[in-house]
Amino acid sequence: MRTRLVLSFLVLCFISLLTVPANSQLQRRAQFQQPTDEELKMTSDPKAPGADAVFLNVEEYDNDPSHYRSYYVRIKVLTEKGKELSTVVIPYVNDNFIHIVNVKARTIHPDGTEIPLDDKVIQNRLNQKPKDRTTDGVMLDLPEVEVGSILEYQYDINFNTYAALPPYWQIQRSYLVRKEHFQFAPEDVFVPGRKLKQYLQDRRGRTINSLLWWYKLPDGVQVQYNPSGYYSVDLNDIPPAPDEEWMPPSQSVLMKVQFYYSYSSSPQQFWANEGKEWSTSVDQFAQPSKAIHDVVNKLIAPTDKEKEKAKKLYVAVEALDNTDYSRRRTESEMKRLKMQEVLSAIDVWNQKSGNSEEIAMLYLAMARAAGLQAYAVKVVPRSLGAFDLSYMSIGQLRDTLVMVSIDGTPKVLDPGEKMCPFGSMNWRHSGAGGLHQDANGIGPETTPRQDYSQNTVDRAGDITVDAHGAVTGQIRVVMTGQESLMWRQAAIENDEAELKKLYDQTLENILPEGVVGHIDHFVGLTDPDSSLLAVVNVSGTMGAATAKRLILPGTFFEARERVPFVKQEKRLTPVDMQYGDVVSDEITYHLPDGMKLEGIPADTRVPWAGHATYALKFISEPGTVTVARGLSRAFDVLQADDYDKLRGFYQKIAAADQQQLVLTTAAPAGSGN
Amino acid sequence: MSNRDLLLRGSRAGLLAAVVAALIGGGATRAWGWQQSAPEWAVEAAKTPTPATVGDAAAVVLFDEYVITVDKQDHAVERERIAVRILKPQGRQYSHCSIGYDVDEKLNSFRSWTIASDGQQFQAKDTDFTDHGAYDAPILQFTERIRTVTPPASDPGAVVACETEEHLRPYMDEEEWDIQSSIPIVREALELDLPAGGHYAESWRKFTPVAPTETADNHLRWEIKDMPALDLENIHAAPAWGALAARMSVKWGDAAVKGTQEQWRELGVWQDALEDHRADATPEITAKAKELTAGAPDLYTKLSRITEYIQKNIRYFAVERGIGGWQAHYAADIYSNRYGDCKDKTTLLIAMLSSVGIQAHYLHVDSRRGVIDPTEPSLYGNHMITAIELPEGENDPRLAARVKAANGKTLLIFDPTDEETPVGLIRGQLQGAYGNLANGADSQVLQMPVLSPDLGGTVSKGTFTLTADGTITGDVHQVFSGDDATSARASIKEYDAKELHERIEQSVGVDLPNLTFKGFEFAHTDELARPLDMDMHLSAANYSHISGPLLLLRPRVLGSLARTANDVMAGKPRAYPIELGHPGRWHDSFDISIPAGYVVDETPDPVDLDLGFASYKSHVTANGGLLHYERDYVVKDVETPAAKAADFRKLENAILEDERGTAVLKKQ
Repeated sequence: MRTRLVLSFLVLCFISLLTVPANSQLQRRAQFQQPTDEELKMTSDPKAPGADAVFLNVEEYDNDPSHYRSYYVRIKVLTEKGKELSTVVIPYVNDNFIHIVNVKARTIHPDGTEIPLDDKVIQNRLNQKPKDRTTDGVMLDLPEVEVGSILEYQYDINFNTYAALPPYWQIQRSYLVRKEHFQFAPEDVFVPGRKLKQYLQDRRGRTINSLLWWYKLPDGVQVQYNPSGYYSVDLNDIPPAPDEEWMPPSQSVLMKVQFYYSYSSSPQQFWANEGKEWSTSVDQFAQPSKAIHDVVNKLIAPTDKEKEKAKKLYVAVEALDNTDYSRRRTESEMKRLKMQEVLSAIDVWNQKSGNSEEIAMLYLAMARAAGLQAYAVKVVPRSLGAFDLSYMSIGQLRDTLVMVSIDGTPKVLDPGEKMCPFGSMNWRHSGAGGLHQDANGIGPETTPRQDYSQNTVDRAGDITVDAHGAVTGQIRVVMTGQESLMWRQAAIENDEAELKKLYDQTLENILPEGVVGHIDHFVGLTDPDSSLLAVVNVSGTMGAATAKRLILPGTFFEARERVPFVKQEKRLTPVDMQYGDVVSDEITYHLPDGMKLEGIPADTRVPWAGHATYALKFISEPGTVTVARGLSRAFDVLQADDYDKLRGFYQKIAAADQQQLVLTTAAPAGSGN
Repeated sequence: MSNRDLLLRGSRAGLLAAVVAALIGGGATRAWGWQQSAPEWAVEAAKTPTPATVGDAAAVVLFDEYVITVDKQDHAVERERIAVRILKPQGRQYSHCSIGYDVDEKLNSFRSWTIASDGQQFQAKDTDFTDHGAYDAPILQFTERIRTVTPPASDPGAVVACETEEHLRPYMDEEEWDIQSSIPIVREALELDLPAGGHYAESWRKFTPVAPTETADNHLRWEIKDMPALDLENIHAAPAWGALAARMSVKWGDAAVKGTQEQWRELGVWQDALEDHRADATPEITAKAKELTAGAPDLYTKLSRITEYIQKNIRYFAVERGIGGWQAHYAADIYSNRYGDCKDKTTLLIAMLSSVGIQAHYLHVDSRRGVIDPTEPSLYGNHMITAIELPEGENDPRLAARVKAANGKTLLIFDPTDEETPVGLIRGQLQGAYGNLANGADSQVLQMPVLSPDLGGTVSKGTFTLTADGTITGDVHQVFSGDDATSARASIKEYDAKELHERIEQSVGVDLPNLTFKGFEFAHTDELARPLDMDMHLSAANYSHISGPLLLLRPRVLGSLARTANDVMAGKPRAYPIELGHPGRWHDSFDISIPAGYVVDETPDPVDLDLGFASYKSHVTANGGLLHYERDYVVKDVETPAAKAADFRKLENAILEDERGTAVLKKQ
């Protein structure tokens, strides 16, 4: 169902009458150009130090009335790796719908020698049969490319269609782009002052009357309208696409212009219409029919309070086979089992199976049948991006949640998320934007952000150490919230033995070097309402032994774990850590006979008001030392402006985590222990 | 029997070595006909109980049978029937039958049925099959495609049965029977139906040969029961899966000669014939070779000028259609296109060398040591390199990767596809591995040399200053040789300056968490014949830690030589050899100036260990305000037998302990 929405958006509009392009005077394509001396000789670009290549020019000409697009690219290769750009994939193939024409490509050496790509090679590639093709497109390989070469190519695409295909302009590339020009001539109907000789319809038969664009452009740059009947953008020195740790989804950060046609130019009108249609389809699917009532009546008691009803129904739908976590049935299987396409909520219940969306809608139907006030909420998962009302596309909304009023308080539930406890959500759905139904109609919605304290990991254990650093012990890891959800979902796709292997692999990254951990057992794996417990046995050797001392890492779990952000000085994009959480450790070292602490690190507390807190405490008692560490992170997303504070906080954590415990066999002079 | 397709296709090995493909050998382009009920053979197979010996396997092959029918022209059609029981949710992947096909490997049929645990039967429809190109990298243009079924009702307890039939490549007279998989196999069989008067030859590896039964005239059947899984999931530092798996090669027609060495020779002759005239030098090639070698003072210089020309100017780019997976393009085309795959690069190298009077030959290898087995002659392999004849008495020590052929000639092994390893050396993956030399009547299998430790490794020299607040600042000079230089040069080529900076920073940051990486410079990047030099400049806050009156620091400032092999370290029984990487010598020498007011109270104990396959020495000395750390690690082989697991563990424990070693400074 999700895929269908996206595709339907891409298919978009169909021209009902043939159109005569009025903007035939427009520039249709770029021309190959002679490189300048500077371009031929350049070995690097000061605006992109160390880059393997630089895009000198990128041009795109899109013309909907004439149904063609023209692309032009010129690249300077600066290193061996940059030579990879000599393999060009035209992301189309010739068929009844698309014709690739005017393909030209050449390599220009630093001395100005020009090596054109042989036209026979081009034609061979264009005429390649589908069975001989291994890439989704036509591949060209520019000839005799060397470091210093300029690569230049262009091609046009003619669409043999009545469909209008407004363009998506990819502004940022893998390397700096010195100069970019994009131009789009839309259907005549969208050229101001032109007389209407045609009309467009969308797939539902609505007349298209607006050309819109969804964009993210550098400050001061806008899409320009030219009286000749086209829109354009010119840009210079566009930096490469960012690549940073804990980055938001690329959709949120990449520069782009997405044109699209719409039957409405008003977001308010558009979302009112689309919302109404969506809501109608939801209500149809989630109709609390008699059959649904019958089911519900068997699941709840008339005396149940609202919360009890909501929870009983939630548990019932969570128990169904969610095919997003198990396996979608094939067409032949459906037929064989006489299963029908799911058309309504009762189909999902009867078949005891559905995808996340269908199960969420079933829950909605059942909640309504139980007399609860319940509405659908459809959101853009935070893992994909943010909801943008200015982008008039219902396709951006992907996942369905259910808002239920319990004792007068609306509560957003996530019944399509397998193993998600009642009242909780997957982080992708918390703080996510979208639309909701309610008694007054349709409106924008941002789901509540999850309380960070719901996501906890508590690791506690006793480790016995001998004089040479050999350790044995057991650790109990108690998880709630997102961490437990992740492991419970993994347990659906794997049996427990495999799950244990996966868990052991995660231990490899967090236990001190020389120490191995094996999970003994899980407790609560199938009960989403309980904490998930993992009991882990550890053994090995840690720390460093000298003739009279044993030096142990101060923190058990962070000795090897990399603290984020410490090395990155500047930040381009916001920081998206997905969800806030609380990680608490309490490890007690049982010291070897005859050894005692010679030096104990100072306790540390690093507060970051309103955002996070870190604390590290060492408690020394005869025969033992206990290290208690806690990191509470209340935020999930931070703007780049706050990066310095974030980095400062983590730098202090990194420093504190590296402290060490010194055990000694002899009472050192001046020691207080 | 997909592994036959691995020949000459480096990246394909990974794809087809996937368990699914390893299980299934047949294939087709359509699901012919409609038969809802599973065929009798599948129903019978599904009755096979799951043996207790499968352990915690995610799935089990109940039955897997190949029937190869050879006609009078030695062309063959192969049918496979396989039945897999899914035991666990993650075992579903094993039921997705998959098969590669090509323009000259036509598929006749591909059908799949599922018998659910409750006995219900399903047949996959056309919509349950998908096709895609075998490779999705733009530099790999192949005609080969893969067809996969997503079987209906593939849940734990179900048995999925697949039947495929395809024409084998008409120019091949050999099939590989992969008798072992990553899941257990209860019963498997291979039948060979030869034409009247036809003959065959068989060879086995990692398995005691099974005698065939002749079920009809010239119809032979080999059958194996209860083949255990080869699961390397938690076996660390293990040889490649394909180097350990049992398999059998069966040949017919001209390839079916008697005798192991004779079969290898026949395979070389076949390869030689396939490449006949491909390596003919054109006037342009000859002119270029002569231009490059003009004035060369010795053979090494002559060779290096030509090999470096190919390494730097012929881009790796594979265009293969059908037999093109085995047969090179003509040298003239490769030279004019300036691109080619591994066998193309070898072809052009042979052509250029012949232009200046040096003979060279194709050497068919596998990039995973141990996959080619001298006891099992076959076309198994995924890479082509070059064997260059050295004149008698040529003893230039720079030409180290040499081996003596059976005909008495000395051959220098060189891989022209490897753009970072200079002529004279071969990278670690090839060292000690076998290859099949294509040299007419002198064709043979030969083992590539294991190079001296002195030809590889890294020498690091660091000078640091430690301040009382725990900050360490300093410079490190590193010299990379052999495989280490190859890896570093490959990274320089693969990553841009920013990425390279980040990667080096990340690598150093493992040892110095509060690293401020000030920069690095490489020298001799393009001079393959010279070691690669790198200078790094860095500082790190909180490197040493204050603990009361003590200041604790690790004299081994950066760089780890420990190899992770958790199963060995945990003392688990080891059945397979332990990979050591490559021979080499690693030497670290670090000087740390300690802060004023502190004296060295204690240093880690010295280490001196020699276990034959490797040695490790380390010591820390204090001299006034200077702490000096020095270690020397020598690896002498590419792998060590499983019987030496305890020695390996001893070595790694010593290295780990030494690397963790802490010096204690005391305030005066």
